[in-house]
Amino acid sequence: MVTKRKAATSSKSANKNNKNAATKRSARSALSVGTNTRRTAKERIAALAEAPLAVCESDKDLQAMLNVLRNQDEPVEVRLAALKSLQAASFSVIAFESCRGDYLATLRQVAEDPNPELRQRALGLLARKKDGFAQKKLLEGLKNPDKALVPPEKALQLLSYDVHAEAYSAARAIVNKPPNDDARREALRLLAADASAAPLFEKLLLDKNELREIRQIAASALHALKPEKLQEHAREILLDKSDYDDIKATSLTALTQFGDEALGKDKALLKSVDRFSVGKALSKYKQSARRFLSKYGQ
Amino acid sequence: MDVELQINNSANPLARFVTWAPSPCRIRVTNPSGATTPTVNVTITGVSVAGGGTVVFPSGTTGSAVSRPNLKRNDRGLAVIDLQNLLGVKADGVFGSKTEQAVRAFQASRNIFVDGVVGSRTWEALTASPASASSSNSLTLPVPIDGASVPFFVAGKFGQPSVNNGDVKIEARSGTTLVGSVEVMVRIRKNATTLTPGERNRFLSAFAQLNSQGLGRFADFRNMHTDVTSPQAHGAPGFLPWHRAYLLDLERELQAIDPSVALPYWRFDQAAPNLFKPDFFGASDSLGTVQFSATNPLQFWTTDGVQGINRRPFFKTAAVPEDLLTEAQTLGLGTRYSAFRDMEGNPHGSAHASFGGSISEIDTAAKDPLFFLLHCNVDRLWAKWQRQNRRFDSAQADSFHNSGRNPIGHNLSDTMWPWNGITGGQRPPTAPGGAMAASPCVSAPGPTPSVRDCLDYHGVVNASSQMGFDYDDVSV
Amino acid sequence: MQNATTVSAQSEPQFAALVDAIAADPDRRGQLTDLLREDHPFYHERGAATIVRMRGWVLLAIARTGVSDAALIFVLEELDTGIDAYLVAAAARALRSYPHPTENLAPFVMRALATIRYRDEPVSFENYGEYAVSSTGTTPVRELLATLAWLGPHARGVLRELESLRARSSGLPRKLRIDIDRAVQAIRGADQVEELGSDTCCTPPGGPRNTAYWPLNSRCGVETIEAAVFEDHQGDLVTFKEFFRGQPSIVVFFYTRCGNPMKCSLTVTKLARIQKLLEAQGLADRIHTAAITYDPAFDLPERLHVYGRDRGVRMNARHRLLRATDGMDLLCAHFKLGVNFIESLVNRHRVEAYILDVEGRVAVSFERIHLDEQQIVTRAIEVLKEKESCSRIRAQRID
Repeated sequence: MVTKRKAATSSKSANKNNKNAATKRSARSALSVGTNTRRTAKERIAALAEAPLAVCESDKDLQAMLNVLRNQDEPVEVRLAALKSLQAASFSVIAFESCRGDYLATLRQVAEDPNPELRQRALGLLARKKDGFAQKKLLEGLKNPDKALVPPEKALQLLSYDVHAEAYSAARAIVNKPPNDDARREALRLLAADASAAPLFEKLLLDKNELREIRQIAASALHALKPEKLQEHAREILLDKSDYDDIKATSLTALTQFGDEALGKDKALLKSVDRFSVGKALSKYKQSARRFLSKYGQ
Repeated sequence: MDVELQINNSANPLARFVTWAPSPCRIRVTNPSGATTPTVNVTITGVSVAGGGTVVFPSGTTGSAVSRPNLKRNDRGLAVIDLQNLLGVKADGVFGSKTEQAVRAFQASRNIFVDGVVGSRTWEALTASPASASSSNSLTLPVPIDGASVPFFVAGKFGQPSVNNGDVKIEARSGTTLVGSVEVMVRIRKNATTLTPGERNRFLSAFAQLNSQGLGRFADFRNMHTDVTSPQAHGAPGFLPWHRAYLLDLERELQAIDPSVALPYWRFDQAAPNLFKPDFFGASDSLGTVQFSATNPLQFWTTDGVQGINRRPFFKTAAVPEDLLTEAQTLGLGTRYSAFRDMEGNPHGSAHASFGGSISEIDTAAKDPLFFLLHCNVDRLWAKWQRQNRRFDSAQADSFHNSGRNPIGHNLSDTMWPWNGITGGQRPPTAPGGAMAASPCVSAPGPTPSVRDCLDYHGVVNASSQMGFDYDDVSV
Repeated sequence: MQNATTVSAQSEPQFAALVDAIAADPDRRGQLTDLLREDHPFYHERGAATIVRMRGWVLLAIARTGVSDAALIFVLEELDTGIDAYLVAAAARALRSYPHPTENLAPFVMRALATIRYRDEPVSFENYGEYAVSSTGTTPVRELLATLAWLGPHARGVLRELESLRARSSGLPRKLRIDIDRAVQAIRGADQVEELGSDTCCTPPGGPRNTAYWPLNSRCGVETIEAAVFEDHQGDLVTFKEFFRGQPSIVVFFYTRCGNPMKCSLTVTKLARIQKLLEAQGLADRIHTAAITYDPAFDLPERLHVYGRDRGVRMNARHRLLRATDGMDLLCAHFKLGVNFIESLVNRHRVEAYILDVEGRVAVSFERIHLDEQQIVTRAIEVLKEKESCSRIRAQRID
């Protein structure tokens, strides 16, 4: 009986292997469907999703996929699907070796595409590779908004992938004169790695008129740049009855994670946190207080 | 009388964690007062709190059929007890007529040659039998009072993992008297969307501590996964084993902070709306900046000296990412590893490419903590495929693709960077993180794992190969 | 030398024009090498990507005019530790204009090939600052393979490695496989075996020199920096004199935000290995080690500590990671550090290590290529013996 079972398994395995071969072929034929302009966009998008590794198998397939991405006459959603497929394939570094050069060259072309979503994605992919071309374009756009390929907040976000990207002066300019709130926030996030920006972040952390998100960025930046100041100011916030519950919760989370043990001896602070833990704040904020108290001894 | 129970053969409380795989344990009498015979029968039972984990007691000296001796009428000893427990007859350690009858009946029911002798085929059938697992939620063992240890096994009952540390107790009784107990945890990798708030918060806290705003050990994990290092782990057969080791190393570091934590997975072919919320892995604004709640410790997440996470989903996070292969499709890629590993493209690569932001490229992917949940699902899919096709044995050609032309680090016998500490040449210039983190529970895969070491993660082929993790929906 | 502010205010096109002008003038071509120094004022207050463009253009100019012995080390450095495609490609091309190909050069080319292979990308050498938007031009891998072909039989030592690459290179593009084949053929070229013999007699033994030694009586005093205050990885303060005087020291420079793992991360990792070598010889208490950050404003003590810990560095009173609390300029001047900055952030630096004598004076320097741990320890022991010789002489005089 065992012998028969083995034979059955073997036959089943053979059928599955045939299906393997069929599946492998279908990746190539999926790519063929995806690059076929006579098919509907929906069919092509679905097909391109099946095709990632097929581009690694022949230069012809790779070029077909890149042509879809480059071709401004193609529907945008199909071009985005081609980009996604290439991006997925790029994770298979060794297999993708033969494709990388053409892929990067195409991304640089698409970085200046008329379609904003394609531009943004291409620039994002390049910026994360610390590509000089992308950085140059993004910086030019910050200096000259007429030449901007993406909004300033996006440019700052992408430039933050490389601390060496020469973006600090542009970020400071935006903090001083922000075109919008998002840009200001991204500029501050970028400046959180600038050692000379600690005084700015001190000021922001203590400013009750600032949004919690900005004050949280400030708290985090201060911890990176001047940790003793974070502890000092977080403490002030917790002792200040007039400050907001959400920033108190942020401060408590910061001190629970990064505070030093001496906080356990700070009776005034512990008392204040204890009051907060049983007060009228949201329950999850009060939980942060209880976590703090649990760490520092009560 | 008192007994000591050691889980994973260790007195260390940090070893009291089990998975679905049998964990070797031992029991010994530490205080024989009140005992009147050289051995006492001790019954070991798992007692769970409501909603907690459940344990079972697989039989056998190894928990698998590999090293069981042949048994016949008149044999005696622990292996006979093991056999009797599996058959559901009285476990007195003596292979008598009743035991033989039970053996014959079992052999007849399984179309095995009926001779009343327990050889490898009978053992295999006994241990593969679902009945053998469910019948062992308690175990009776004769334990000598002289302090000698008696081995046994415990495993989590499939489908009933723990929620909290110690939510299942193993009690030892002599008659009705409790003589020893130990709290354990059935610690299992779960679908992130099923975590309780407590599990979620403990995981986030441990992860944030590991990151420690860029100053924690997480920096090593970030540096293990960059463009420079990527050929060690991508685009060749070692992709799945390398990432399995990578996740395990990270998980063990998390467990050094909080041992109750297991890495959850993001099942990317299903909607996971509560994962992408401020209290969990963050909600992305239109720019792709991830927002966390005021109490979420991930708000201080820092990598490469820069605070924050950039992640822009190209799908509605209340729904499923588009165009990813489903689990069924992924498992259907093929029964050979050479075919299955195409999953590196879709769904793995496609899952990464479902976002803009850090997770979308190799060099920056590890900056986003979601990366580890994504890869945990990739590993789960591999584990499920292994189970489906019985691909745990590296000696079996279809369990891996050892072509003889694989790049370094992608052959079965290759040790894997960075844990092997080898730098220069075809390896990256440095080896961040050092050797694989050790576990108090298991010895595998060792400090410098090879590709081969990462296949038998559950200890199916060799019990000592189990790596101390399992998935909530992958039984073996 | 022009004022730093003036030259750094020059635009990139102006810089490119200057480079072209220098390259066109046979009497000035030697200045091109000078333009590759990291601390050159031209690079002050420039971003890292800008510096890549600038340095690449200089390397291409050198490729046209010929690599001198003085310039060779800069070219090899780029191959040894470079990760930027444009610079590696330019360096590979430049190397082909060196008049004395030797077998010492081949390992550099192979190392660069291993580093850049999976980061290959098209580059453009046509115009300054241009980025390739098509793949029809060249790439660093193509340039490196062409350089291997140029080396011909001088690359015999790496032939096996190259053949292995070919055998396993199912992923390499077809045109690159052709380039590999061409290189392999050139290397195997039997009719150049006799020439190989005659070449080696005229080439400097051991390749380009990355090590400089200062005899006792020629070493610069430390008056300007002996009072400089450092904060170490534990937040303790120590002056230069307190830490470095009294015994030899091995000093490396680094910063935690370095994006090139072949530079700072590897340098500090090597420092850890140096420490082990010292320990094995019972010298850990007699020779200090230090890693000093280029980025003291950002690399605060905890950051230093974590960086060292993660690389296996032993840290105690004799072995420290340090940041200058002030006087970074003086430090740069004293060591003549190969570094430049944009505001306080490093924009470019070389790999550099130093052995200081018992007075804290620079006795030996290692720069750019091949920081060899054993060699550094050996030289440090020699400096230690200087101390012992001096002590014996003093003792004899007293007797």
